[in-house]
Parts: sequence; C-alpha cells; structure tokens
Amino acid sequence: MQAKMTAPMAGKVIQIHFNAGQTVEEDDEGIVIEAMKMETMIYVPHTGLVEEIKVKVGDRVEEDDELAVIQTA
Amino acid sequence: MRPYFAKMADFGTPLKKGQIKRGEENQAPLRQVEDQIARAGAAIQQLGLAAEKVNARGEMTVWQRIAHLVDPGSFHPLHTLFNPADNAEGATNVVDGIGRIAGRWAVIIGFDNKVMAGAWLAGQAENILRVTDLAKRLNVPLVWLVNCSGAKLSEQHKFYANRRGAGAPFYRHAQLNQLGVPVLAAIFGTNPAGGGYQAISPTVLFAHKDANMAVGGAGIVSGMAPKGGFDVESAQELIENTRHFKSHPPGSAGIHHAQTGFFRYLYEDDQQVLDGLKQYMRTLPAYDPEFFRVAPAAAPKFDPRELYALLPFDQKMVYAFDEILARLVDNSEHLEFRPDYGPEVYTGLCKVDGYLVACIGNRQGYLGKNYPEYADYPGMGGKLYRQGMIKMNEFVILCARDRIPIIWFQDTSGIDVGDAAEKAELLAIGQSLIYSIQSSDVPQMLVLLRKGSAAAHYLLGGPQGNDTNAFSIGTAATEVYVMHGETAAVAMYSRRLVKEHDGGKPLAPVIDQMNQIVADYKAFSRPQYCAQVGYVDEIVDLPAIRRYMAAFCGCAYQNPRSICPQHQMVLPRVIKG
Repeated sequence: MQAKMTAPMAGKVIQIHFNAGQTVEEDDEGIVIEAMKMETMIYVPHTGLVEEIKVKVGDRVEEDDELAVIQTA
Repeated sequence: MRPYFAKMADFGTPLKKGQIKRGEENQAPLRQVEDQIARAGAAIQQLGLAAEKVNARGEMTVWQRIAHLVDPGSFHPLHTLFNPADNAEGATNVVDGIGRIAGRWAVIIGFDNKVMAGAWLAGQAENILRVTDLAKRLNVPLVWLVNCSGAKLSEQHKFYANRRGAGAPFYRHAQLNQLGVPVLAAIFGTNPAGGGYQAISPTVLFAHKDANMAVGGAGIVSGMAPKGGFDVESAQELIENTRHFKSHPPGSAGIHHAQTGFFRYLYEDDQQVLDGLKQYMRTLPAYDPEFFRVAPAAAPKFDPRELYALLPFDQKMVYAFDEILARLVDNSEHLEFRPDYGPEVYTGLCKVDGYLVACIGNRQGYLGKNYPEYADYPGMGGKLYRQGMIKMNEFVILCARDRIPIIWFQDTSGIDVGDAAEKAELLAIGQSLIYSIQSSDVPQMLVLLRKGSAAAHYLLGGPQGNDTNAFSIGTAATEVYVMHGETAAVAMYSRRLVKEHDGGKPLAPVIDQMNQIVADYKAFSRPQYCAQVGYVDEIVDLPAIRRYMAAFCGCAYQNPRSICPQHQMVLPRVIKG
C-alpha cells in the first residue's frame, strides 16, 4: 500500500528529513514548509519505506501538492 | 448546572512516539533558560548580609518570615527579578507574591532586611504599586512585612518624588482601605521617615517589641537644625545626639503601643508576630471554596511536564495550542465557545482546581482554505483576523456577564495588516476588544507562552489593562517586542540601503547597523530581560503554570465583589446551543 504525504498549505520547502529508500516510522519528522515566516513540520503519516520524494529544498508548493510517497507494509 | 460542568468534553491526545523523541531535544534549551532564571532568583536571595548574621541578631530574614507565614507550598513569587532601574543592589529591595495564610489567599510583600536594612531604592515604588494593584484587582488582603530603614539617601533623586514615586503606595493603601481590602502589617526593626509611613499606612499593625516607627529617625532627628555647615563643635553635638537616639530611637513600642496604641498587637519575637498575623487572617472574610466550585478539583489527565515536548523553543515552529491547554486544566476537559468560527483563537470554559475559568489562546499553524474570508492570502495562527477578534469580543462580554475570571495564553505575531485587513475593520475591532476587556471588570491573568508582539500583545489580555490584568507570567520561550528584529531593521534601513546603493557607496556599514538592531531586539526580548523590566511579573517553569493558574483562581473566587448565580449563567447555554 502507498501513503501520500501532501502539503497542508502553500509555501516553500525548507527541510527534508529523509531520503528515498529510507525506512521511516509514523510521526517521524518529514518535510518542513515555510509560509508567513512560520515553519510547519509535516510528519510521516505511516511507518514504511520512502518510495519517492517529489520535491526538493527550495521548491514552492501549493496546498494538497504531493510531497512524498511512503510504501507501507 | 451540574450537567454543564461536572463532566465537560475531553480534549487533548497522548504524546506520540515522535513527539516524545522530539520533546527531549526541545526540552534542553527550555530547561537551560529555566536554570538561568532559577540561578538569577537564587542570587537575589543571597543579596546583602548572610542569613546567619541576621539570625544571630535574633531576627529572621524576609524569606524566612514569608516561609513561616504562608501555608506550606502555597507561596507563588512575583517580581523576583524585577529591577527596572537596574540598581547596583540587583533588586528593588522588596520581595512579593501570592500565598495562602491560614487557608486564605493574600498578596504578601516584605522589605529585604538583609540589604541596607530594607531601604527604599529606585524602582521599588513601581514594584509596590504593582502589588497594591494586584490586591485591589483580586480583592484579597495585602500583607506587609515592614522592616524599612527609609530612603537610600545617596540616590533619593531617583525615587523620592514623582507621581508613581516612593510616597504613592501610601495613597494606594488608603485606596485599598476605602475599597474594603484590609492591609495588615507585621512590623520589625527600625522604620524611620518613609519606613514610618510604610508602617502606619496599613489597617492593622502587628509589631515586634523592639520595632519602632517614626516621622523621622535617629539620623535626622539629631541633625534637624541646619546651621549652614559643619564645624568641630557641631560635629561633637552630633556625636552625642546620635549616641542618645541610637539607644532611645523615636517611635518605639513604649510610645506606639503603650501610649498611642498604633501598634495594636505587640509580640516578643519575629515568629510570634507572624503567628499573631496568621491568627488574625482567620477572622477575615473569605468564601468557602465550595461556594464557587463547579466540580471537585482534579489534576489534568495529561502530565503538565509534557509541555516541554509541546511548546517549541524555536519561535518559528508551529504547535497545537489545545494540547498545551489540555495539560493545564482539570481533567483535561473543556466547553469550547464557537469552535467553527475564528479558528486562529481558542475560546472556552475550563476548570482549574474545581473553579470555572475562561481560557483564551492563540492557535498556531495554517488555518485552512478560504481563511481569512476577506483576503486572497492564507491565514496563519498567531496572527489575528476579523473572526477571531469578533469571537474574543463576544466571549469576554459573556464572561463579564457571567462573572467568570479569564486566563489569556498569548503567542502572537500581531494583527493582520494591509488594505484588505483595514477594510475588514481590524483596527477598530481590536480596539473594541480592549473596550470589552476594560468594561468587563473581571480578574484576568496572562500566560505569555511565547511571543507578545505588535498591538496584539496589548489586546490579548496584556498587562497594559491595568484594571483587569491581575498579573502576567512568562516562560522560558517568552519574547516581547513591537515587531521581530529583522522586520524592524528593514523598516529602519531599507530606504537607506536604496540611497547608499544608488550613490555607489558600500552597503556593509548599513548592513552592520541592521544586524546590530537584530541583536538588540534579541537581547531586549529575552525572558530574563522581560522579568527585569516588568513586561511579565514572573518567569515560571512550564509545569508551574498550572500552580499559578490555581492560585489566580483561588484569589479571584475568595471574595469576589460580584457574583453570577451558576444557574443564571448564559455563556454555558450559548455554547451548548
């Protein structure tokens, strides 16, 4: 099964805390989006393997944009 | 109203594994600041003479007097680091806080008799006025531990005169008496001149047998006839007079107990004085807590120590305010007011120590699509928008009507700006909130969780509401400034940058000045600075916030000037619908 990490809001990607192929646990730190001078951490939604990261640091994203795909068990 | 209050809605969630892990990292910088504040507080206690030396004279220190006076564990210090005039002594030379004496809450203040025998110093009157205002707002007795040698004469120009100077507290004592707030004074040591009025201005005086109070002390009585200078003959006269008045100071118990009777009670030693005052406290009016409690007192379901994992030290990181509040209120239960309106602000009824209390706090993070509804940009918590400010106005008005004390939790970057915000009337709605607070006349307390910034700091229950804000506490993450340092640097220097650039001049000197502004803003907004200048009345450890909330509620409900019968309250019904 796949779980998608999506952007809860528009903003700029300023940190990515995992790499593709890495094992992650639910609620691990995932991706940080900066908007209106505040940083919002997007936490890993499910335990699994990072199958794909669809953004890079510095990218602007819109609300609901796909950020990463986690392959769950 | 049992169906409303006995069991409210649960809120808050247990910490997740990731939060616990991150919390350990977040805890370190918070604890570091708390340790720094604790060390500064401990240093204040060590000022002046050693406690052993004072004890060897048969006296207790002010700290020992407070400890003996209050019910164990009930003292909540305030203004520990307050030193607005930056005195070399490191303090204003009074020690104060809220505590229970013989089961009754009181505001307690005493002169530090280890430092210049409790002299008046610069900034002290401001400290005392905060304390008299506190007793007035909470309508609880003010208890003085008077031991005051009078003005530090070499610095009298800094504090003797002026509207809020050293004599102003005597008028405040008169005002408290007129309002029916008793001012009790335990009197120790030598209290001449200003110290004499500190001693005589309260309502009932409890004195040590060796205490004295006088219009003028030995020092000035022996030199009251100026001759235009000093010579050997006058110096000799001074020596004799000084010897006499030292052994026979004016205003001793022989005068003020035996003859004037101003010392209503006289005791053999410090402990007896304090015990006498304690006994007297039992006779003062106070409601039994059960009169106002809406449920049995209960601890939060979630441990307040988890706040270290939930309140990010990094000011840029967002967090869930509701999770913070769930760790501070009884049983982690609440009745939220208008949850579907003004998402940037939490408003709701909670219980603290079994008492009903209204809570208002800034929520953080993204506020969802199409909010604020009047603008084409996204809304972020910490900022205030139209709906949130209207909601707070409604909530405060209803709290005032139902006579419910309010606790504010502030972490704000300001009110939304720009023409869309102006068209949305935010300027006026903000001032309307100030009007609502001012007209509410209910006791309020502020917890400055993190940021207090821009006008929002004023209208979110800030200490500027002197008639309503009883006291304010900050945390290790508190920051107070008109705007962020970088924003200020841009506001100050952006035009200059353009000018220098267009003139072909180097930008480095301007950039250096901008960075200096950023550094200054940081230095002048840190928790210890906020406490020193009085932006907050105390910086407290995160788990201690609940203790201060309980003390506030205990005071607010001890003897309120007006009551709304629980079954006639409107706000709980508005919430239920």
